[in-house]
Amino acid sequence: MAQATAVAHGHAAETNTGLDNRKLLMWLFLASDCLFFGSFIATYLLYRDRNVTGPYAKDLYDIPFTSVSSFVLLMSSLTMVLALAAIQRADMRQLRIWLVATALLGLTFLSGQAYEFTHFWESGLTLHQNLFGTSFFVLTGFHGAHVAVGVVILLSLFDASLRGKLTPDDTLAVELGGLYWHFVDIVWIVIFTLVYLIQPQ
Amino acid sequence: MAFIGAIGLLLAFTLFAVPAEEAEGGAKRVAVRRVGHPDPAEYVVIFLVLVFITAVEVALYYVEDFPRKGMIAVLLLLSGAKFASVVGWYMHLKFDSKLFTYLFVGGLMLALAVFTVVIATLQAGLV
Repeated sequence: MAQATAVAHGHAAETNTGLDNRKLLMWLFLASDCLFFGSFIATYLLYRDRNVTGPYAKDLYDIPFTSVSSFVLLMSSLTMVLALAAIQRADMRQLRIWLVATALLGLTFLSGQAYEFTHFWESGLTLHQNLFGTSFFVLTGFHGAHVAVGVVILLSLFDASLRGKLTPDDTLAVELGGLYWHFVDIVWIVIFTLVYLIQPQ
Repeated sequence: MAFIGAIGLLLAFTLFAVPAEEAEGGAKRVAVRRVGHPDPAEYVVIFLVLVFITAVEVALYYVEDFPRKGMIAVLLLLSGAKFASVVGWYMHLKFDSKLFTYLFVGGLMLALAVFTVVIATLQAGLV
């Protein structure tokens, strides 16, 4: 079957499904990533209150601080979708502005995570201190790694647009980056609720 | 409790169900629901709704007399609504081909099933 080479959003690709295979693959990847994070979240919920020794979640979590982090990531989702809207109307300047804004917000979130990890570490919660520490750092660490990869993707798109490699015909590239970034945000929505707001009694 | 969140998600996706329009001509194609995109103002409105819901969640955390089971149920429903909003509008699932929905929701349901089995079997709990 003939493969589409470049497909703008809303136009049928020359595939069996009429959909671009790259976009199909991205959704498939995100579906698999749901399983990835689902297993880590289940493990965290299993282990968070089965500790022989502290420190414990209630000793460490700073909900106001984490709420601000959540707000930052939510805002980055807005700037990301505004970047997509910009390239769809061929406004490359706005695209670059919103891409940089999203990357900066992502870096802000990562800085907050780094601060939180450092604070927890200095308070005695390490990767091997107790089951809570192991499961918390693995879960949030992998989420942070996903955010870092997302920032690299965003900066790559920005660089490509600066060098003229990203044109208004390349909305799919920004859309795929946006799908990944929004997924990272929705994982944090789940983590924020299950890990931070619903603490063990 | 995990099922409450799953039900919330399913309800949200049900609300997104829009009669699909068949693509014209050629080989059988998966129907695309809607060609248009939300405008930036709509995205900002969605963002404000997400922020409001987050504020409600955080406020609920600090209410001391709220029954724990009720609080967990409400928090799961609220986060489910946020999840569905980002997936539906920001990720455009509401406006895109149903095949993407099947793929993503299929993976999500599988993840929820594994999650529920692990929690139930090994007796971890939210409550």
